[in-house]
Amino acid sequence: MRARLLLGIAVAAAAVPCAAQVEAGRALFADPRKGNCLACHQVPEGAGPASRADVGPRLDGARLKGWDAPRLRALLDDPQRVDPDTVKPPYGKHRILDPMEIDRIVEYLRALP
Amino acid sequence: MRFPEPLLAAILVLAAPAAFAGAEQVRSALATRLQATHPDLGPSELVLGPAAFDTALRDRPEWQSPAPGSAEVLAAGKAIWTRKFRNGRTLAQCFPNGGRRIAASYPQLDAKSRRVVTLETAVNQCLKSHGEALLDPADPATMGAVLAYLRSLSPGQKITVRPANALAEERFEQGRRLYFTRMGQQNHACATCHLQLAGRRYGDTPLPSAFGQAAGWPWLRGGKAVTLQMQARSCLERMGAAPFPAGSDELAQVEYFLTAISQGYALRPNGGRAALP
Repeated sequence: MRARLLLGIAVAAAAVPCAAQVEAGRALFADPRKGNCLACHQVPEGAGPASRADVGPRLDGARLKGWDAPRLRALLDDPQRVDPDTVKPPYGKHRILDPMEIDRIVEYLRALP
Repeated sequence: MRFPEPLLAAILVLAAPAAFAGAEQVRSALATRLQATHPDLGPSELVLGPAAFDTALRDRPEWQSPAPGSAEVLAAGKAIWTRKFRNGRTLAQCFPNGGRRIAASYPQLDAKSRRVVTLETAVNQCLKSHGEALLDPADPATMGAVLAYLRSLSPGQKITVRPANALAEERFEQGRRLYFTRMGQQNHACATCHLQLAGRRYGDTPLPSAFGQAAGWPWLRGGKAVTLQMQARSCLERMGAAPFPAGSDELAQVEYFLTAISQGYALRPNGGRAALP
């Protein structure tokens, strides 16, 4: 019983990203040599550096509602599998970001207000 | 992100290898799409590049033509243009009118070699024929400067490049294919930014349209003269692609395509551009 409880707590803790992971994702999102996402997207005030970019849609909690982690991960890995006409870079497929870096950005995106 | 307009479908059909319909039809289709999305912009605005889409940029001194700092570049280019070869000849003597009012007719096609002859090619052909060392097409301080000066001798001249035979159509088509081919880590084509997304802000700056670029170069960026081919190589690097070699046939074909779609645009060389981050 105790073991099950501990396992449940561990699973729940793993599912909720900690602040440090979200912050790491935010840094990767903004880094021009990594995600460079601010070149194309805006995020809510306070959630990241201000940008006037409008190549891609503004990203916020409302826009990303319904985008769970696996779906976001798949989009960042190879967006042409989702939309053949997309201009979003294939971050995973072309090794712009490694899987852990993609996870950090997914956690940051899911934490956007 | 998907293209919203039905016109995109027509453009992509034109971009498909099997569907090439002729240079004029391609130019017309691309111009129609641009007109649909930016009906208020004509050649005199589009030649301004990013500033075409941002009126606040147009007033900044660094975006004017000629840009601040261009006097030094033009003086360096003139020195190369008029420098005497060991046989007493000069670059200026290789061109009609000493190079005045010729820039808007380049790139040209050489029927014998069947290659595109850019201004870079023409300058180096002159040097070679007189036994002089060639200029590096990737070097802003030499080739960039001399072309800045040469193009300054054709102010306001309208581009006359128009594919008019099978060879010209073939080179235009090769350039168009390269322009529409996705490449590099970013998986972008040149057309992604400069046709599909022209006018959208990438970071803080609007993406310039493909239309007008051939009339605007070289640009003064950080005090250096950047030719169209240098800019294309810089873009390819930023896309995570290995750039075509400086002076290559591929870059010449892309330049031919870009110049032909800007036929009738008046040259506005040596305008400023912000330094790239």
